[in-house]
Amino acid sequence: MAYSFPEEVLEHVFSFLSSDRDRNAVSLVCKSWYDIERWCRRRIFVGNCYAVSPEMVIRRFPELRAVEMKGKPHFADFNLVPEGWGAYAYPWIAAMAEAYPFLEEIKLKRMVVTDDTLELISKSCKNFKLLVLTSCEGFTTDGLASIAANCRHLRELDLRESEVEELSGHWLSHFPDSCTSLVSLNISCLGSEVSFSILERLVARSPNLRTLRLNRAVPLERLANLIRRAPQLVELGTGAYSAEIRSDTFSNLADAFSACKQLKALSGFWDVVPSYLPAMYSVCSGITSLNLSYAAIPSTDLVKLISQCQNLQRLWVMDYIEDSGLDVLAASCKDLQELRVFPSDPFGAEPNVSLTEQGLVSVSEGCPKLESVLYFCRQMSNAALIAIAKNRPNFIRFRLCIIDPQAPDYLTLEPLDAGFGAIVEKCKELRRLSMTGLLTDRVFKYIGSHAKKLEMLSIAFAGDSDLGLHHVLSGCDSLRKLEIRDCPFGDKALLANAAKLETMRSLWMSSCSVSFGACKLLAQKMPRLNVEVIDERGPPDSRPESCSVERVYVYRTVASRQRLDMPDFVWTLDEDSSLRYS
Amino acid sequence: MDNHLQLHLALSNTSTHNMLKKRKFDESFSDDEMTSNKRTLPLLIWNDNRNLDSGCVDVEGDAVVGWPPVNSRMRKVAEHHRRESTASNYVTVDNGGGGGGLNWMYVKVEMEGIGIARKVDLGIFGSYQALTATLMAMFGKRREMYKLTYRDKEGDWLLAGDVPWERFVRSVRRLKLLKKVW
Repeated sequence: MAYSFPEEVLEHVFSFLSSDRDRNAVSLVCKSWYDIERWCRRRIFVGNCYAVSPEMVIRRFPELRAVEMKGKPHFADFNLVPEGWGAYAYPWIAAMAEAYPFLEEIKLKRMVVTDDTLELISKSCKNFKLLVLTSCEGFTTDGLASIAANCRHLRELDLRESEVEELSGHWLSHFPDSCTSLVSLNISCLGSEVSFSILERLVARSPNLRTLRLNRAVPLERLANLIRRAPQLVELGTGAYSAEIRSDTFSNLADAFSACKQLKALSGFWDVVPSYLPAMYSVCSGITSLNLSYAAIPSTDLVKLISQCQNLQRLWVMDYIEDSGLDVLAASCKDLQELRVFPSDPFGAEPNVSLTEQGLVSVSEGCPKLESVLYFCRQMSNAALIAIAKNRPNFIRFRLCIIDPQAPDYLTLEPLDAGFGAIVEKCKELRRLSMTGLLTDRVFKYIGSHAKKLEMLSIAFAGDSDLGLHHVLSGCDSLRKLEIRDCPFGDKALLANAAKLETMRSLWMSSCSVSFGACKLLAQKMPRLNVEVIDERGPPDSRPESCSVERVYVYRTVASRQRLDMPDFVWTLDEDSSLRYS
Repeated sequence: MDNHLQLHLALSNTSTHNMLKKRKFDESFSDDEMTSNKRTLPLLIWNDNRNLDSGCVDVEGDAVVGWPPVNSRMRKVAEHHRRESTASNYVTVDNGGGGGGLNWMYVKVEMEGIGIARKVDLGIFGSYQALTATLMAMFGKRREMYKLTYRDKEGDWLLAGDVPWERFVRSVRRLKLLKKVW
């Protein structure tokens, strides 16, 4: 019996499949489906740039148009991954530029991108349309100039939170006058001035511009004229939101805002002068996303702003909002789905604002659609966490950071095991969890028993013994990423759950109790795991094998375990089980 | 303890196999739970004595690396706000005028029994402790003899120390040090 569908029909059917999971499933049905599918896959996501090699990707998928890739582990955001560890984009781009002349989209996260890399993209891919660089580094404004100059059909240039070496503000002038295709421009991470008149002209000749995120150096006085040229904007990031208080500046700004009937998202807001906030009131009822993460706005002014935004779905704000402000949020914004509260004084020993667990409890009570939270605060109680879990069993992401790393329940002085236990028990769809506070092995037992859909877990300064880690590795069926710092977890749990690690994308452990001997053993037993010992104290074999390593990063890979770009503080195991380092 | 650990590749999915593994594992730790296996943690030194007059503090030098987990952008923003709040550009008006960020101001300080009042720039302090210490030094008196009171924007006189520092600074209008009555 043979299928009588011709290939073209199958290909047409497959073209409706956009999810990677579906396409991967399709390619496992039989050889001929595998073959058909691989020729028509256009988009690929590589969650770990070292899990596979460029050659393997190109060999399997000859006709890609869009590539998305991630490099360094998440804890690199907090300086836990030493400089020079890796995640270089160039080898990937070099291979792909040759293999995919029609490549249109590149999205990179936590990778090192050089000017050469950017120039290569701009010169090799004639149809290049979209570049998103999130938390990347290694390039300068010269690289941006290449992209501007050579990508005739560029639609999106989004630098998210990247670190750019700014040699000049004139890179923007490299966009030719004929370039009118821009849909999205995000330069909010740039510290220095870009040529303002060039920016204005670029905006004026981009009728499809939907997203414009300016950098801090764009003064408020010039914002009005800029957005007047783009009343079709859907997402706007302001520059510095401060100016001398003048009624003409204010009315100019208010007028400009009122012309933007499609505005849904606002961000930026460095250096806010609260008196200028009302200039935005006319657009507030349409706003669904408000990012005030950098804005020092007193609670009273925040409250006035937020109560205008009844359709708010996402709010990122600093803890200046205080509990009182969160009460207002809970009362006004019934569509709220995501809340992030950042600390204004993360290193201060004393609280500088009146934001406690109560704010989070209020929001969990008042906002029925709330499913994603990142909350920094200075005190928490089991009672509050239990209440939050009961109020909001629909959490998908729950990230709590109590500034004092081992803070107990401030009312009872007990560990916060029961509270987080309630979260994982009630929130059955929980996919991401970050925990802090005083936590014993018990909380991990709860997590292992209940958090069956959990995909990413972040742990710090928690647990008593290997049993904690064992509960997680043996119980969390959906776990993909586990990152741990400063926990008393060691060899036993790791080795007993070695096979589990192959079902995950990666495991990061720093300042734990994993010995070098265990790392070697793990690498020996599991040939498809790359066990990277990242240790800045010199070769691990110059110390006893029982010595703990500073950091170990374990990830599954089908590429060679000897990546060629290892710095001198990274060690992996060679084929003959000897220690190998660059 | 070590003879309880066997490295299984755990390729089989049978539940009995897993159960056995689990029980062995649990057994090997039941004793451990009694004894304390708790690691000593790196000493956390909160940077309470930071030099509030200088603009720049290297917080990584004192605190735990990468804690709290805020990325470098957020850290820079927090540092900037802190510096803004201690910078020397104040306005001596009661309602804290225009300009950017949070506004700080000079307030009049009187001490009971002393004729001449002083003025202090509240922006340079980060805590009640720092403020009180400086005031005592200013007037040349001993701390335990006086209590700090303040008049807020509603005109009420209150004992300082009940509300968080930041809220206090926003609402304080005048300070007065009163002799403690035993």
